[in-house]
Amino acid sequence: MRPHRLTDAALTELGAGRPSPETLAELRRSQLSRHLLLLREIAAITGPGPFRALTEAERADPAATRRWIARPLVGVWATRCLTALRGGASPEDVGLDYLAQPTDHEQTVLRAEHDGLAVAVPLEDKDPLRAGLGLPPAPPLGAAATRRWQEAFTEAWRLLVTLARPDAEALTGILTCIVPVLPDPAARGISATSADAFGAVAISEPADADALAAGLLHETQHSLLNAVLYLFDMLEHPAERGWSPWRDDPRPASGILHGAYAYLTVTRFRRAQLRWGGDPLAAFEFARWRSAVAVAAAGLHDLTPAGARFVGALLDEVRPWLDEPVDPAIRRLAEGANTDHLLRWQLRNRTVAPADAAALAEAWRSGAQPPPVRSRLVPAPRRALEASARLDLAHRLLRHETVDGASGDGAYVLGDERAALRAYREMADFCGLALVTGLTAAPELAAATHTALAGEADPLELLRWLA
Amino acid sequence: MNGAEETTEWRSAMIDVSELSLAELVEAARDTPAADTALGHCLRRLTGELDHPGEPIAGFNSAL
Repeated sequence: MRPHRLTDAALTELGAGRPSPETLAELRRSQLSRHLLLLREIAAITGPGPFRALTEAERADPAATRRWIARPLVGVWATRCLTALRGGASPEDVGLDYLAQPTDHEQTVLRAEHDGLAVAVPLEDKDPLRAGLGLPPAPPLGAAATRRWQEAFTEAWRLLVTLARPDAEALTGILTCIVPVLPDPAARGISATSADAFGAVAISEPADADALAAGLLHETQHSLLNAVLYLFDMLEHPAERGWSPWRDDPRPASGILHGAYAYLTVTRFRRAQLRWGGDPLAAFEFARWRSAVAVAAAGLHDLTPAGARFVGALLDEVRPWLDEPVDPAIRRLAEGANTDHLLRWQLRNRTVAPADAAALAEAWRSGAQPPPVRSRLVPAPRRALEASARLDLAHRLLRHETVDGASGDGAYVLGDERAALRAYREMADFCGLALVTGLTAAPELAAATHTALAGEADPLELLRWLA
Repeated sequence: MNGAEETTEWRSAMIDVSELSLAELVEAARDTPAADTALGHCLRRLTGELDHPGEPIAGFNSAL
């Protein structure tokens, strides 16, 4: 038995998000191996009895059975089943009858073709296992919803083939299943990928074709990285939590690597959109995420040798984009959005001990220098998507919608920094103040000191004192 | 666990069983592979990931 392997060229192409068809074929083989090994381990506990129907089906039609075993949702089932058995569950209670009927139920297939490149992807809206992808699935789709999905898919495919053909070609080698999920009230469009289900994308009904194109690019990158991580560890400490530029909660290092990799292709797509038509939103997204991906990837530490090779290739892909010209007004908003996110993340996720806040307040009152106080990370109880009023206003402005300049956020977005400063000072909005002034003080320290002083200090002077 | 045996190839700890039939694998499951074999190592890595599952990667705001 040979190990799965990748050439060094294949690993670096993967890191750059540009896998060859041969590399994708090797990754698909490795995922088939994974499913087969999971089934083997289940059989090691249950004995061969539950596998009779499946092995008989294999004798009758090996290729069809192999395709069934390779399905992403079989990966979800096998992972759950083996986990339960290893946890002491009885074989009678782990749904082994799933193996008795290895056939596909009837499915809607989304199809599209543009400029000679075709794609066909089952829309999985019935299998109960679809809930295993991490988001609540939508109920089975009616005719009208199916038609909307097909229309968005057709147009998304046209966009992908036109603007990002190599990525569209790679997508045909990865994507094997789309699972519609319920929309999240906190997000404009939400999607997910499971490491147990290579090639499956869970995604809410897209707002438009652009959102679907970006969502599919983003999620298939997660699948790709999951397949690489099955073969090679990339991080010595994958669970260590910290800041990522795309989520409001602290993320594990593995999640930061995932995010950087997923945003890499989305950024490439926005770059192509910008070059194609100069769309302000595409310019903003390109300018924002090129920096975010570069900073997040460069911040990963304790990489394994394979991880260093992979992340090095990722950085080689994104870094040349940092020097490409973007309209200065849009660049200001994009860079501001990244700075704003870091400031808000610190305020949300870092806390100051009461004794430290009291010491800061005492030093302020006595006119002394601030003591060397550090905040500490607090674990977030649940997933937190990015939510920012300033970001929403920036999007409105870029969509040429009206932005009211009377508020601090509105003034900031419109570039009236004096008015924004006045409003943020009055509101004691320390993130806004740091954003407008460029002062590098930690907003959580300023907010904790301000509270300990019962609001008696001028927020701007306090921020200057701490900077 | 992972590594480059030579600079041009990365060899995984995970074994390629994609050419084996399910029947062969189920039959072979009667025997527990020795811990120090390639298969034993591969299966330990496989089940080790079940004991420490990552969370689903969820939360991309795909619509602007």
